[in-house]
Amino acid sequence: MKPAIRAAYWVLPSLLCLGIYWLGLKTWFWQDDFAWLSLHLRLKQTGQWWAVLFAPMAQGTIRPLSERAFFLVFYELFGLNAAPYRMMVFATQCANLVLLSAVTRRFTGSSVAGLLAPIFWLVNIALARPMSWNSAYNQILCAFFMLLALYCALRHQQTGHKWFAAAEWISFLAGLSALETMVVYPVLALLHAFCLARQRVAKTLWMFPVAITYAAVHWYVTPEGPSGQYRMHFDAGLLSSLWTYWQWALGVMRMAEITTGWPRWLAPVGTAILSASLLGFAAWKLLHKNWLAGFFLGWFLVVLAPVLPLREHLSEYYLTIPVVGLSMLGAWAVAESLRGRWRWKVVSIAVAAAYVVPSLSATRAATRWYYENALGVRTLVRGVARAHQLHPDKLILLTGVNDDLFWTGIADRPFRLVGAKDVYLAPGSEGNITERPGLGIVSDFVLPPGPALRALEEDRAVVYAVGGLRLVNVTAAYRILARQRWSPSEEPRHVDVGNPLFAKQLGLTWHQIEGAYRWMPRRASLHLGGPSSPNELLYISGYCPAEQVRDGPLKLTVTVEGHVYPPVLLKRGNAPFEVSFPLPPNLVGKPRIEIGLEVDRTFMPSSDSRNLGLVFGTFSIR
Amino acid sequence: MKKQIRNLFILDVLVAGLVLFVACKHRSAKPEVEATDEHGQTLMSAVHVADPRAAVQLTKGFYDVEQNAWRWTMKQFSVVLRAPEGASKNGATLQMKFSVPNPVIDKLKAITLSVSVNGQALPAETYTRPGEYILKRDVPREVFHGEAVNVDFALDKAMPPSGADLRELGIVVNTVGLEPK
Repeated sequence: MKPAIRAAYWVLPSLLCLGIYWLGLKTWFWQDDFAWLSLHLRLKQTGQWWAVLFAPMAQGTIRPLSERAFFLVFYELFGLNAAPYRMMVFATQCANLVLLSAVTRRFTGSSVAGLLAPIFWLVNIALARPMSWNSAYNQILCAFFMLLALYCALRHQQTGHKWFAAAEWISFLAGLSALETMVVYPVLALLHAFCLARQRVAKTLWMFPVAITYAAVHWYVTPEGPSGQYRMHFDAGLLSSLWTYWQWALGVMRMAEITTGWPRWLAPVGTAILSASLLGFAAWKLLHKNWLAGFFLGWFLVVLAPVLPLREHLSEYYLTIPVVGLSMLGAWAVAESLRGRWRWKVVSIAVAAAYVVPSLSATRAATRWYYENALGVRTLVRGVARAHQLHPDKLILLTGVNDDLFWTGIADRPFRLVGAKDVYLAPGSEGNITERPGLGIVSDFVLPPGPALRALEEDRAVVYAVGGLRLVNVTAAYRILARQRWSPSEEPRHVDVGNPLFAKQLGLTWHQIEGAYRWMPRRASLHLGGPSSPNELLYISGYCPAEQVRDGPLKLTVTVEGHVYPPVLLKRGNAPFEVSFPLPPNLVGKPRIEIGLEVDRTFMPSSDSRNLGLVFGTFSIR
Repeated sequence: MKKQIRNLFILDVLVAGLVLFVACKHRSAKPEVEATDEHGQTLMSAVHVADPRAAVQLTKGFYDVEQNAWRWTMKQFSVVLRAPEGASKNGATLQMKFSVPNPVIDKLKAITLSVSVNGQALPAETYTRPGEYILKRDVPREVFHGEAVNVDFALDKAMPPSGADLRELGIVVNTVGLEPK
């Protein structure tokens, strides 16, 4: 190869990456990004950097390098300027493409396969989200460490240099700090050794104790195991999940789901042709005792295995690293057929096109969707920042927030990052938003009608309409609308005791607000609007200090309109709690109900003269 | 090849370093802001549903704007309108421009649209053909006892969510308003 061609060979996949994901490079922050961007606030509050870096968060995950350190360092350097974050993701992905090319080339001995593998990987729909979302950097970074470890393993096999063995270990260990998926690397290394380098089998076994210890520690420190949509199911549903992922990986099915205008038969027929081609090639190679095909297919299965039990949370970006195996297999198949007769060349090019064209179509559509959603989020967050500058002492109400904007731009509380703490959805907004259990509770973000009307009448609130090219101050119109629709005496069915707007709902015994919460003494009370249906429950959230459980569980007794519930036993100290109670059917439609609270003991800190019972946050009926 | 890969990694690191350096220069203590429109008008007597300033008055049952011109509704939808001048003496005329799309009639055969203003029911109307319509109703003066009125619309049927569209779809609305008499 001439130097220019050689350079083009290595750079072409990266240029394609930029071309395909150009919008991803410009995509702003969204969803979980805001939770990670807020880590610095937690660090400021607690000063415990080790807890911020290593404590389990978000479904019990611990990803210090790809999430905690990434966001902490970049926020410190660049704040809410998204471009450097995106560039870091792209730079890592460019390194991945070079590594994949090098690894495939070494495995197959084919330059064509080395060129095609990163291209096949790039166009896959699985990459749309990681290439458009900073919170999915864990996938890109884990792929980097996995490919680097494998590259080092190959180099060690070929050269015998110990440096490569050490680098493989370092990559493996570093990968564990990027994503839990890295825990399967020893299985991949063993598979590689069995298929292609039997002399390495013993060496790879040393990685298993590390992986098992990591998995055990991870399981142990996760507070309450996976729950909700992250609950794991080990049954026949695994095969169903595998089949879904397989179809997504081949692209045609996902294209038919995301984009419109395609004939219905195309997706199943396309999937069948691609499956037959890929599996047929692998079977043919295996029949000829070429175990490399087994390794490539095994890569897909092994790396996908940890997420298969999450049948209620199938996500196409979980395929990011597994499809590397299929990309290598597909690239090898095309490269082999290009060496054969002309009809095989035509068939392989047609099959490759049947994968690339639909995949690219779906990937581009998904990338544009992420970009446009994030653009709406940027307009919202920066608009709220401006509104807060203009009205620093007023709370901000937002109207016109739709489902997508809420879940991508508000549920992860981005406004604290621009200093605006009192930002709520206008009353009634919850009607436009679908509840998504596990992701947040919409009513926690909505200011109830009574407090909203009071704030408007007292000129303590401004209202902005969301949805256009910029936020529009509609306070004057909204004030009239609010008077028309609500009464100031209407009792909210949600009370945030740490917010002064709800002070009228509280009884006399509560202590003063501290930050975003309040202490109760031995007894406290409050009132709420009654439930609108008999299925609704009363939810209470708070925080139990360690002092209160030092002598055993703390008894919290709740009464609703005189009805006394069996006491709740709080056993964990220095921990948040949430409890819920069914409500008597006769309370349905009542304009006001009284809630009573009592704890069986209080304590008095040395620096405080108050008797303290428990800390509370919110009470809501929903 | 080892050399090439090493060179590319060095290039990658240099690019990342350059990005960090350049971006460091732009770190600002203040959050970036986007201008807001502080001159949102007050409540209107007539609204074009695609006007973002009017969105605040669409209180229930409207989907996002489509083609910068109209919105699909749900089975029930509501708007709040400012009472036009003299309405408490003379009453007003409610007027809504909307269309009943082909698929609605294909699927539901006929739909009946009911309307009430501040809780007072006005005569309903049934539509059996697709097309564009203007609903006009006299609103008696008795219902106007404040700066604004709630206008609630209800269809007897709506297209249920389907594979093509996961929304419940009613009719397509362009404008709603109250005109003085």
